[in-house]
Amino acid sequence: MTDTVAFSVRNLVKEFPGRNGAPPLRVIKGLDLTVRQSEFICILGPSGCGKSTFLNILSGLDRQYGGEIDVGGKTFRGGKPPMRIGYLFQEPRLLPWLTAEQNVDFAMTSCNVAPARRKELKDRYFVLAGLTAFRGHYPHQMSGGMCQRLALVRALCVEPDILLMDEPFSGLDELTARRMRVDLLDIWQKTRKTIIFVTHNSYEACYLSDRILMMSQGEVQEEIPVPIPRPRDYDDPAIFDINRGVVTLFLKVAEAAAPQH
Amino acid sequence: MKIRLASVLVAIALWAAISALMTPEVLPGPLLTTQTLIADIAAGNVMTHLGMTLWRVIGGLVLAMLIGVPLGVFMGLYYRVERALDLWVMIGLTIPSLCYALICFIWLGLNEVATIVAIGITGAPSIAINLWEGVKSIDTKLVNMARVFEANRVLIFRRVILPQVLPYVMASVRFGLGVIWKIAVLIELIGRPNGVGFQLFYWYQLADMTQVLAWTLLFTIVMLIIELAILKPIEGRLFAWRPRVNL
Repeated sequence: MTDTVAFSVRNLVKEFPGRNGAPPLRVIKGLDLTVRQSEFICILGPSGCGKSTFLNILSGLDRQYGGEIDVGGKTFRGGKPPMRIGYLFQEPRLLPWLTAEQNVDFAMTSCNVAPARRKELKDRYFVLAGLTAFRGHYPHQMSGGMCQRLALVRALCVEPDILLMDEPFSGLDELTARRMRVDLLDIWQKTRKTIIFVTHNSYEACYLSDRILMMSQGEVQEEIPVPIPRPRDYDDPAIFDINRGVVTLFLKVAEAAAPQH
Repeated sequence: MKIRLASVLVAIALWAAISALMTPEVLPGPLLTTQTLIADIAAGNVMTHLGMTLWRVIGGLVLAMLIGVPLGVFMGLYYRVERALDLWVMIGLTIPSLCYALICFIWLGLNEVATIVAIGITGAPSIAINLWEGVKSIDTKLVNMARVFEANRVLIFRRVILPQVLPYVMASVRFGLGVIWKIAVLIELIGRPNGVGFQLFYWYQLADMTQVLAWTLLFTIVMLIIELAILKPIEGRLFAWRPRVNL
């Protein structure tokens, strides 16, 4: 890991206007975060904690926010931060009328990836994801896990500065999800992309990340480093040990967020 | 295909059997009807009448699409347009085509323009409804995906929106055609000096059941050819990506 900063966020605030005269809803309340180049960060938190909103802001889907985002020495207050984003959604979100390869081409065209580089990128990432034999297949001819792999290929092929992942494995069965996590770490080891990975699965967070941010009520409540050396073994007892602590904290944070239970 | 063929043969056999029990003045059999049709075609004026009707159908369909597609698209996209117009689309759908035809003939005269306007206005509401539903069912998650990958508006429209709306456009063409050819024949009956509707009415006034059936048969065959030889293959090519549903 290098110490170069990929981007940083200062006092980020997001409010949604209240309906029928209700006070505005503060979804993110002053978030501070510095992400280093090639860092793998997991954001862990209960639903409604603001993690999806945070990803929407980083990806430029949501362009109205308070606070600052620093990228490459420049400060942005509102608008899309100038980072190339690769996004992995909870569902694959592939275009069903395009083949696997055409789906990747679509993203590369819209991101203006230099045409000379496209073939090389596709060749590389289709191999890494184990999908070389399926380049001509339509999404409906592939399994859920394969579709999500294809979505990962698409996200990598646009040569992103940051990979954003929003609970990408939560819709898969546990065995497939486990294989995907192992493969994702493997691919990350080879590409060293900066990743922000949102999840509510604490073991997943412990296995994957360098750092876990525990988010609740629009704030980072805890920051937990995961100093386990890489490459990691999915069943490493050290991960279990850290996970135990994370779960305890998670319960505490969730309880504070919903005191009636 | 085999099942289809069998069902057609069964229908013809049924027709033949029932007609055998009746006089040709009430129900002529398939053979007599076909012979009459062939004789009409040989006599030479069938193509003129058929051509006139087809031209009115196509003109009316084009007009109906020109009105119905934008209407449906804007209703699907904008809540205010939907609220402002949904009642009128329903009313437009409810008014009998005969009313449109009479109004158009009174206002525009007994001519081709009035005929096509009447057909177009009658067909437009059902097309608008199809498109309205289609646009409302656009998957916004896919649009967001495209936006995250920095797609511009043109690309989003071409690669994400259009493929989702196209099936509804195709459906509305087929559905619209079905509605429109019935209207076209009716309008010819009341206000045109030629066309299939005119011929049907002419033979009806002479109480010639064989000719009425022959012209109905002709028109049905032509519409089937348009459906099977033109629309179906286009649809097959456009939507080859769609999975087949197996139940």
